[in-house]
Amino acid sequence: MTRAPLSWSMRIGLAILGFYVAVALLSLVWTPHDPLSPGVGDGFLPPSVEFPLGTDRLGSDVLSRLMAGTQYNLGIAVLAVAIALTVGSILGVIAGYYGGATDIAISRGVEVFQAFPGLLFAMLIVKAVGPGVVNVILVLSFVGIPDYVRLARAEVQSRRNWPYAEAARMVGNRSWQVAFRHILPNSTGPLLAFTSINAAFVALVTASLGFLGLGLSPNTPEWGNMIARGQDGVMTGEWWISFFPGLAILGMTGAFYLLGDALSDLTDPRRRR
Amino acid sequence: MSDYLLEVTGLSGAFRSPTGELTPVLHDVSFDLRAGVTTAIVGETGSGKSLTALSILGIQPATFVRSAGRIIFDGQDLLALDARALRAVRGRRIAMVFQDARSALNPVFTVGRQLADVHRLYHGGSRAAAMDAAIDALRRVAIPEPARRARQYPHEFSGGMAQRAMIALAALICRPELLILDEPTTGLDVTTQAEIMELLAELARAERLTTCLITHDLGVVAESCDQVVVMNAGRVVETATTEAIFTSPREAYTQRLLAASQLVEGAA
Amino acid sequence: MARLILQRLFWLLPVALGVVTITFFAARVFGGDPTELYTPPEATDALRAEIRERLGLADPLWVQYVRYIGDIARLDFGVSFSTNQSVGADLTDRLPATLELGLVGLGLGVLLGVPLGVLAAVTREGPTDFLVRGITLTGMALPQFWIGLVLIWVFFVILGWLPGPVGRLPIGVDLPAPITGFLLIDLLLLGDMERWRLAVLQLVLPAGTLAIATLAPIARVTRASMVEALQSDYIRTAIAMGHGKRAVWFRYALRNALLPVVTLVGVLAGYVFGGAVLLESIFGWPGLGQYALQAIESSDFAALQGFVIYAALLYVLAFLAVDVLYMVIDPRMRR
Repeated sequence: MTRAPLSWSMRIGLAILGFYVAVALLSLVWTPHDPLSPGVGDGFLPPSVEFPLGTDRLGSDVLSRLMAGTQYNLGIAVLAVAIALTVGSILGVIAGYYGGATDIAISRGVEVFQAFPGLLFAMLIVKAVGPGVVNVILVLSFVGIPDYVRLARAEVQSRRNWPYAEAARMVGNRSWQVAFRHILPNSTGPLLAFTSINAAFVALVTASLGFLGLGLSPNTPEWGNMIARGQDGVMTGEWWISFFPGLAILGMTGAFYLLGDALSDLTDPRRRR
Repeated sequence: MSDYLLEVTGLSGAFRSPTGELTPVLHDVSFDLRAGVTTAIVGETGSGKSLTALSILGIQPATFVRSAGRIIFDGQDLLALDARALRAVRGRRIAMVFQDARSALNPVFTVGRQLADVHRLYHGGSRAAAMDAAIDALRRVAIPEPARRARQYPHEFSGGMAQRAMIALAALICRPELLILDEPTTGLDVTTQAEIMELLAELARAERLTTCLITHDLGVVAESCDQVVVMNAGRVVETATTEAIFTSPREAYTQRLLAASQLVEGAA
Repeated sequence: MARLILQRLFWLLPVALGVVTITFFAARVFGGDPTELYTPPEATDALRAEIRERLGLADPLWVQYVRYIGDIARLDFGVSFSTNQSVGADLTDRLPATLELGLVGLGLGVLLGVPLGVLAAVTREGPTDFLVRGITLTGMALPQFWIGLVLIWVFFVILGWLPGPVGRLPIGVDLPAPITGFLLIDLLLLGDMERWRLAVLQLVLPAGTLAIATLAPIARVTRASMVEALQSDYIRTAIAMGHGKRAVWFRYALRNALLPVVTLVGVLAGYVFGGAVLLESIFGWPGLGQYALQAIESSDFAALQGFVIYAALLYVLAFLAVDVLYMVIDPRMRR
């Protein structure tokens, strides 16, 4: 079998994400101005050489805040998704492989949690547990877990009785070894594709929470926060404060979607061609 | 006018991979279909027989790239026709029965509706009249309770019944000059296979159809065909009458095929 | 079919019970002591205890829980302390605004998204397909509230073509007494064409935002399933029978391709009718989403619980509707 070359959507997606990672790292050591301090310029300055993306109501530099925001938006998305993927697939594998009462308990629980619409659910728990980066990450991963459970469970169920699983059992592997070492690795494709799509969703919800002022403290240069801060300016013509963070979200979310598309094309032979 | 209803000459082509590489699959395929005669195209999976048949109607997979050849039907080259002219040939003059009729019929429409739609496409008329024609066609392929069956969906049909409906559509609704049968009995029970082949032979006789049977099953060929075209790996290996193929095959490949089918233990 | 619907409805009971239970305990665990919300800070301990007694908070948790379930079963969600109305009445008041916005927005999303998806599928890998995929990717990757803000900026602030985000009617224009609650219908019934025109103009931007946000995933899913349908055996049959392109696409392929689209629209409907929270807050739209947001901001737990249960049930009902639609579209689902 020859390995298919990287598709253009994969390349573009990876390139954009690489750029965001680079910006996030750069912002740790250097930004044009201090992203957190107000009054580095006058308030509501339109884009200029000194402030390429203008300043906000408090006179903070939009570009610096945008760069620093990459740490939050990208970091939250990556960590939340990593936790959801890990916990969700473990639960899903257990439900799918062992079946019976375990499966029923896990699946019913998942169904109940899925009855809450994602964003609303996230809003409620964040409101309940309080703001903060760690809380936001935990809440967003919690919201995502049911989807991973369902996906992993379905994958494992479809493979549980395949010949190589039988073979692995016959040579004396313990059941958890068969489930996690022999069956789960065959499902990484669909799981990873979904993870990428889920990262896009998490990025959007993070921004939404920020926009509502629920996620992080108000001065955090998170992109949704920034859009909220510029909301009034939109009415009076100071569009740049809200506009550029939206573009930043577009780029990151779009890159996750492109990557997810490319991954599912790779793993679903029917969609290749 | 020649005796040949269809002449395939020098058909060659390749599959294009997503990366643009070409894998040749048809090499200078040539054969003729004589009017009023049943011709079999025989070969193993991957011999290019189905691809050739699909090319006649222009419904080959999009990844197939033709590099040379002509398919002359009634004096015109089908490969040179524009979309409109090709549509006038499809169904009306050349119809096709596909392998696995249950997936070749649309799952969300009743079987009767699918036949009636095609009837109206050719003849116009009211929905009711078209449905009557559809039911009539189902009756003629010996589907019991055709009026009730016409209101059912493909998934409610057994494989054999679905293939009968497909045959009713292709042979009786379309009323073509040439009927192409692409592995019509593959996947069916042996007894059902025999019934289907019997039905096809009967219809061909009654409707004076020219038929082309694509198959890998030499047993079917022996019983129902006049002419045989043997294909292997995208090439035509041998063309002869059925009798000649079975009694004195000239090519080594044909002999191997015969031996493998265990039809001629005594002869080999 | 009726039996299957009943069966599904029956299935909803455990899910509903789970939702209610989680909501109850989440409110008790995270919500703190609701007594504080009803008690002035200078109240004496005796008064405090009396209020606790009156609110039923002095009882053991399980008694409260059973009572709560009983209330919910009678569709009694309690009283919102910020509006001083029963939560049920609040929700009913606000439902039509959300439904009106959702129906128009999602309706537009479907009407635009499905044809776009079909267009992309039949021009697969061509420039049109590329363009449609670009549009849908952008639409999906943008936060809804940002799309709304940009539309306001362009069409209200810069161009001045459409009114600002101040709710269902311009400031200073009174809402009529509700008949159906659907403003566009009520005003037509009253024959008040001037106010009807104003109401339509107010609706354009929020509904447009919702349409953009929903058409993107709809077009994407339509494209994918249409591509698959077009490669199917039955479409090959339809072409071989001499059917024209349009009949093949719209009559034979689309109906098969719609199944995943129906699922998606169900999910979107559950979300939209549950109150597109951010959208309503941006456009000052007095619907359920805004109500929920206010409840969150003011820690109005009765209101929140009522809303969450309503939204969750709606979500689940949307899935039921999807199942029913499935049976209409796909005969294989009918049993």
